Amino acid sequence: MDDLLADFVAETREMLEASSGEIVAWEANPADTARLDSIFRFVHTVKGNCGFFDFPRLAKLSHAAEDALADCRAGRREPDRQLVTAVLAVIDRIIVMVDVIEAGEEFPEGGDEELIAALEAGEIDALDAAVTHGHSSNDTASDQNAPAQSSQPTAVQRSIRLPVDLLDRVMSGVSDMVLARNDLAHRLRQAGTQPTIDGPFERLTTILNDVRDAITRMRMQRIGTLFSAFPRLVRDLSHELGKQVMIDVEGGDVELDREMIEMIRDPLTHIIRNSIDHGIEKPSDRLALGKREIGFLSITARQSGNMISIVVSDDGAGLTESKVADKAVALGMISEAERAEMGRDQVLQLIFQPGFSTAEEVSNVSGRGVGLDVVRQNLERVGGTISVSSTEGVASQFTLQIPLTLSIIAALTVETGDQRFAIPQSYIEEIIHASSKALDFTQVGETALVTFRDNRVPCLVLSDALDLPRSEFAEDEFTMVMLRLANGDLFALAVEAIHSHGDIVVKPLAPAVMKAGIYAGSTLLDDGQPVLLLDVTSIAAENNLASDLSSRVIHDEFQAGQTEAASISRAMLFTDFSGRRCAIRLELVQRIETIQTTAVDCSGSHPRAVIDSAILPLVGLPNEPIETEKLRLLRLSDGSGQLLHAVREVEEAVVLSNPLRPIGDEDMIEAVTLVDGKTVSLIDGHELFARYGETPEATDKPLCRLPEGEWARTILAPLVSSAGYDIVSAPDAVEDVTIWFDDEYEAAAALDTSFPAPVVRLRDAPEAVEGSPTIYRYDRDGLVKALRQVRHTGGQA
Amino acid sequence: MKNSLLVMALIAGRRCAFPAPDVQSVIEIGTITPIPRTPDFIKGLTAMRSQALTVLDCRTAIGFTESEFPLDHRAIVASHQGDAYALRVDAIEDIGTAVSEPGSIPGGFGAQWANVSKGLVETHVGPTLLLDLGSLIEGETALGEAA
Repeated sequence: MDDLLADFVAETREMLEASSGEIVAWEANPADTARLDSIFRFVHTVKGNCGFFDFPRLAKLSHAAEDALADCRAGRREPDRQLVTAVLAVIDRIIVMVDVIEAGEEFPEGGDEELIAALEAGEIDALDAAVTHGHSSNDTASDQNAPAQSSQPTAVQRSIRLPVDLLDRVMSGVSDMVLARNDLAHRLRQAGTQPTIDGPFERLTTILNDVRDAITRMRMQRIGTLFSAFPRLVRDLSHELGKQVMIDVEGGDVELDREMIEMIRDPLTHIIRNSIDHGIEKPSDRLALGKREIGFLSITARQSGNMISIVVSDDGAGLTESKVADKAVALGMISEAERAEMGRDQVLQLIFQPGFSTAEEVSNVSGRGVGLDVVRQNLERVGGTISVSSTEGVASQFTLQIPLTLSIIAALTVETGDQRFAIPQSYIEEIIHASSKALDFTQVGETALVTFRDNRVPCLVLSDALDLPRSEFAEDEFTMVMLRLANGDLFALAVEAIHSHGDIVVKPLAPAVMKAGIYAGSTLLDDGQPVLLLDVTSIAAENNLASDLSSRVIHDEFQAGQTEAASISRAMLFTDFSGRRCAIRLELVQRIETIQTTAVDCSGSHPRAVIDSAILPLVGLPNEPIETEKLRLLRLSDGSGQLLHAVREVEEAVVLSNPLRPIGDEDMIEAVTLVDGKTVSLIDGHELFARYGETPEATDKPLCRLPEGEWARTILAPLVSSAGYDIVSAPDAVEDVTIWFDDEYEAAAALDTSFPAPVVRLRDAPEAVEGSPTIYRYDRDGLVKALRQVRHTGGQA
Repeated sequence: MKNSLLVMALIAGRRCAFPAPDVQSVIEIGTITPIPRTPDFIKGLTAMRSQALTVLDCRTAIGFTESEFPLDHRAIVASHQGDAYALRVDAIEDIGTAVSEPGSIPGGFGAQWANVSKGLVETHVGPTLLLDLGSLIEGETALGEAA
């Protein structure tokens, strides 16, 4: 059944339940106006709702009852027993009709007129007759309906309404169970393996996870319930403004926390108003611009991980960069110099600044002194973000990112002064150990500063911010958590250790604790220990770390990126299999991979390994066989070619600050230098790629021509392709290798046929014929080896 | 109020009582996670199953020095406006029954006590001060006036 209809049925029932007592009380005392009011509200609401759904009979009935009751309320009519009976009959009929609607059936015709007449007639005699008639017809209606209802359980999804309190209680009960289970798991581990207990315990775990999922889903609601109001809003607004707007809503199936839906209702409405008011032009203007007369507004919701992104885009006038920038300068938000350095995207984000409003005139639609800054603030309050992108004259697009729930967030647990605190993941930009050379820890006046990617960034020691006694921690033993505030400001939070990272369930704190102003909630760790969730924004504000303009757009980031490459050379430090400390320039390192040792193929002249279905050359292997099951590799790339470097241990990325001393007597080593007082050999990337680098074979497969015949097509071809070849059959294609059956080859050779490509010859008999370079056709290894050899040597097998 | 159940406890050496309906349970106090930058009477958070309780020291909240009194290893769990608190006292005594309505006595109970008390009730073990959870939890008013 349609969601709206289900809502209507549920609401009607709920109201009826609430007013059924009133109805009885009213019957006992018809003069009681308070009761009358509540019954009036019921029929009034039913009447209003019917208008939406095209239930003319229901509408007519409730309308008649409403009229009669309105007369009573206005004192034009004295409520008497007859009227009460008539109204009750009407309400009974409404209930029956609602049941029928829910079952999706037709209501038997007739009977309504008598009921309505009973309401309208003032004469007592007429009433009595009509009401009894009404009652009887009502009875027959329900009788007829009874069998129909019993056959009802079709596809109708049944739903009930529950108080959120109850859900919360169930949720916390399940959380308790999870904690109890964790405790039990811990004890079981201590007790050792006990198959008779472990099995059922595993089952319990699975069931508990299922239940937890289901409970979480209970709090979820389709965002469609929010979106469903927008077409109407758009219609009304565009009408009011003399514009024509078509709306397209997508992704209504995305589910998120009920409370979150309420939190984003206003911000979204505001953005839609804004788009229609300021974005989409009047039809005449649009035609003049060569656009379609009807503006297009689209609202899309997508879920990615535990974030929902909602995109509101319109094909209106877009934002004018210069206009936004000029206004920001005029308002003193940015200086001319800053303006010159800002990119278009950054300029556009200025519209979320407090006090900014692009509309030249304040209209009563979108400009009510409430700007986009409030929208941004409201979203940030629930952990969301908003950004805009726009092409002038063509379109603009607002992107909202909001977390799935208010109560479950990803967080990092840090430690300071023996105490743990949680920090919401969304703020964290990077985590750096203070000893890292990239982070130059300095004290300027009372302020600590660190250098992060060539920028001086204020640094706050967490124990100071919390007024905890300063520990004996040396400055370079801290771990820096780089936090990016929603307005783009960056600061470093010095903590003593990073603990864990994961989703936490945020619980509210008592008001007395909230008064401290630096906590956002608490959570329980797996071991049941409570941990406080820090309110990063308030802590930053308290320490004046958020700039006064509360949000300069991030403009130092890409500048830093440019200068960094020039001034610092960074390298990845590792130990190779001969135990030597080596470094390789970080620019070359693409990824650190771990593979099964069995994926290494040493059969060719150079070892190779398969990663992501690409075969790459592998260097740095020890001479003796590798004993470990897994192998750590650096995946290097010079932009086009790739190769793998096997390492015993990856250490860390370092800055090469000491002079490089070139050495010429050793292959593959560019220079030696000092890192942390020890020598490190810097691998010569140029030499490495010159010698071993090759583009991944997956992208550039050599071609192989096969002999004719069913066997070649079905049995030989798959083997050849798995060896990294593409099969060619077109007569004019130039192949890299040709496979021949030996007898055919000899026949062809006898005819002096030229063989443009290297040839691999297959023989039918397992035993080799003396002096003939052939391979038995089922000698898989031999064939693969031959193909590989052909490719590398270009010679004939 | 008369005949209602009370949870009796010693706070700063005096016999006090909490209305039993306010009290959820009495728990053994485990580890307490301190909360930096909160008033002294807020001792921290402790976990009761999956619930985090705010631990308050009643003596400090009323305006006494906690170190002068013994400390019960158990705490009274009470909820106020949806938040649960664990209250630390000198000793948790027993459940008692009020045999009178709360009333005042000439001369009062002293400023510190007056802030957190609803009045005096007679019980089978003698007169007891009936505490008001709300004002106890606010703490600060009491602290402010005691200081």
